[in-house]
Amino acid sequence: MLGDEGIINLLGAASLLVIIFLVIALIQKMEKIKTLQDAVNKLQKFLDEMDEQAKLIVRIDMELNKTQEELNKKISGLYALQRLSREISTTLEENQIFKRIDADYLNDMGFEKSCGFLWNAGEKKFLLKVNIGYSPDETKSIESALDMNGEKYSELINLIRNEKTTSSISLSDSAQKARLKQLFGVESFIFSPLLPKEGDKGLLFVGTKNTETIINEGDEELITILSNQLGQALENARLFEKTWHAQQSLENKVEERTRDLTNALKEVKIINKRKTDFISSVSHELRTPLTSIKGYASILLSEKLGAVAPDIKERLDKINRHSDELVHMVNELLDIARIESGRMSMNKQRLNLKEIVEKASDLLSMQLKERNIDFSLSIPNDAKAVLADRGQIERVFINIIGNAIKFTPEKGKISVNAHKAQTGIEVDISDSGCGIPAEAQEAIFEEFYRVDNPINQVAKGTGLGLALVKHIIEAHGGKIWVKSKLDAGSTFSFILPET
Amino acid sequence: MQLIQMAINIGIGIGQDKDTLQAAREALRLAKSNLHAEKIDLAIVFSSVEFSQQNILKLISDTLGETPVAGCSSFALISKQGIFKYGIMVALLSLPEGVYLSTAFIKEIGSKSVTLAGEELGEKLLYGFKDIRRDLSLIFSDGLMHDAAGFLWGLQEKLGKSFPLAGASASDNLAFKKTYQYYANEVFSDGACGILWGGKLNFGLGLKHGWRPLGKPRYVTKACGNLVNEIDGAPAATIYEEYLAADLVKLRRELKHISIFYPIGIFLPGEEEYLLRNILSIEDNGALVFQGNVPQASMIRLMIGTKESCLEATRQAAIEAKNGLLGKPSNFVLVFNSVSRYILLGRQVNKELEAIKEIFGKEIPIIGIYTYGEQAPLKAINFQGIAHLHNQSIEILAIGG
Repeated sequence: MLGDEGIINLLGAASLLVIIFLVIALIQKMEKIKTLQDAVNKLQKFLDEMDEQAKLIVRIDMELNKTQEELNKKISGLYALQRLSREISTTLEENQIFKRIDADYLNDMGFEKSCGFLWNAGEKKFLLKVNIGYSPDETKSIESALDMNGEKYSELINLIRNEKTTSSISLSDSAQKARLKQLFGVESFIFSPLLPKEGDKGLLFVGTKNTETIINEGDEELITILSNQLGQALENARLFEKTWHAQQSLENKVEERTRDLTNALKEVKIINKRKTDFISSVSHELRTPLTSIKGYASILLSEKLGAVAPDIKERLDKINRHSDELVHMVNELLDIARIESGRMSMNKQRLNLKEIVEKASDLLSMQLKERNIDFSLSIPNDAKAVLADRGQIERVFINIIGNAIKFTPEKGKISVNAHKAQTGIEVDISDSGCGIPAEAQEAIFEEFYRVDNPINQVAKGTGLGLALVKHIIEAHGGKIWVKSKLDAGSTFSFILPET
Repeated sequence: MQLIQMAINIGIGIGQDKDTLQAAREALRLAKSNLHAEKIDLAIVFSSVEFSQQNILKLISDTLGETPVAGCSSFALISKQGIFKYGIMVALLSLPEGVYLSTAFIKEIGSKSVTLAGEELGEKLLYGFKDIRRDLSLIFSDGLMHDAAGFLWGLQEKLGKSFPLAGASASDNLAFKKTYQYYANEVFSDGACGILWGGKLNFGLGLKHGWRPLGKPRYVTKACGNLVNEIDGAPAATIYEEYLAADLVKLRRELKHISIFYPIGIFLPGEEEYLLRNILSIEDNGALVFQGNVPQASMIRLMIGTKESCLEATRQAAIEAKNGLLGKPSNFVLVFNSVSRYILLGRQVNKELEAIKEIFGKEIPIIGIYTYGEQAPLKAINFQGIAHLHNQSIEILAIGG
């Protein structure tokens, strides 16, 4: 049996054991807490590290978002610019060009307000051509501010002069910047000059009230491209208008001149007809007394009415001869008048040109022989056949060859050549005569024109021969011209229709 | 023999003329010609803010007479044909027998308690809807309303906490200056209008955003409503200063950008996704003002989104909406999409539309807008179907007659 002491000892030992156990348990618990605390600390550390990483992620993400936003803005802006450029380039009307700037395009470029001005340097005035994003009252106030204070906003005029784009980020003068912001009611803006080569230059303004919009160099470039496009479009429109006006004025002038010429031609025709009628009637009136004069002179010369004294006979001969000349002249005048008036019809038939020329040279052979002139004829087979009035065309050759004989010195040369030309058969009658002065080369085909030279002063002539020739040739649908050089001979050329 | 209309008929038209009246006339004409029914029970109107809002409503309500008209302004319009940054959209609805609706509006919310304003709208919507089973409420409210959550709370007080609600906060052209709400021939700001549906309406609702949490969890240590003073005991803006290595000046300058790309996500137990909150402004003391309420003591994370996660969320939302119809066909799809997603997706913005058409078919009529906030119930059971204000989300509502 245990005594009290034993029990006490036992309890003491048990208590000791419990205390030891509790101490061990406490130590273990404390170790566990320490381990847990370590784990918590570790976790906290990881969490803090992850939070730091998260901060980095957020910062990078923010940069990426900003870049993406910028990129989106650029792409939208470029796309809008491309569409707007296409719109602008489809018009050639100056006022329409500005109207193509649309709020949608502007929005896509990041702006909601825009104005387009032209600067009238003469009147020192800005003309507002387009405004977007402004109420009528706001527009009026911008217009009147620029109108009243043209000089106050000299920086705008300088932009045009200096051909420079500026914006709320590049403008260094803060007072100017504030004034422009206030006038246009924006927080950010870009001004870019419109520079057509001709006419009034101008200014494009774009802006935004959005305080978060940050304009950069890219925006400036974008608006500069747009203003260049606008300037080019203005130039094209103006050039087109100028060309159109010039063309219109030219057309009007041509029309006016044609009308004048038609009227003049009508007048000439009337005068010519009057002249022809006059010549015709005068010639007819002359022919009757001339016939009588010639008749009486012939009767007297025939001495049927009695002998005529030699000196009277000599004078009567002159009367007879001059009468013949006068009759000849009257006949030629009548022929010219007939041809001009269309009363003489050309009896065109297929003729052998060679035969005609030979006949003419036969008729003139005496004169050719007398002056010892070498006459040659060259008409190739393909230029032989012409379509002409035999009688009239013989007169042409006799007249021209006759003239050539008259003006060609002795032992000279006359040649007749023919060849096929584009519009018919060309005949060239050349002589080695004295030639015709240049100033007279056109006039010789006019009635009564005679070249002032020594031969003409002695030789007889009516001045109607070549005029008649010209009329005959033209009545055949051909034309006549002369090439000549003084003392080097002349060549008369004309075209006759071929068969 | 008269044919009995079995499903909701919808005719949609978009007008884009520069002249307001011409554009509205064109939208109405197209909507009428696309609506294969004579009876018009409702007109939903959306428009970009460039148009004279009053003229749009005057023309439409004058033309449609007694037909209820409701709608709001938007940054851009969403339709089957594409996304239009400029235009007027009119959707005319003809309801089959057994589907009912009630419309109402409230103006000048700012001048009263937002919760009371919500209750007032709820009461108006319920008026004349006593013995009819209520299915869904559709709300268009001012996107610049300061306490949208309070308004929603009041509305649900009357309509029922677990009652399905889909809503859109109207937007403008990203100026965040003024949004418009439409009701009958009236145009107003600082208001809301709603459509309460009942009877035999089938619908499916899907909402997703696709943003993912990043960095370590943090706790809101001091907040009231949509103002968050402190996160982890430090001024709330510190979180952004640390993550973006930017001071308050820089943060303010790039606020719109930061708010869209890196919102705050509130952890909600049981929910697949965090509830996102955009920052509206940064106070001088570093406090952050959010677009919706952020409860004190809530666990939050910084969120990050990518185009891919965003597009995948759209697909998931469309699938969820389609599944909600329980195999029944949908007559049309209503889309409320956050403007943030438009900005994030940039040139790929049409891919969201393609994803929706991929799920519902190419010919499904689609009407939709870009919003400054979306309202829809949370899905987890513990939230009992109570509608919350969402940011950066796409809300797809598939409606079958």
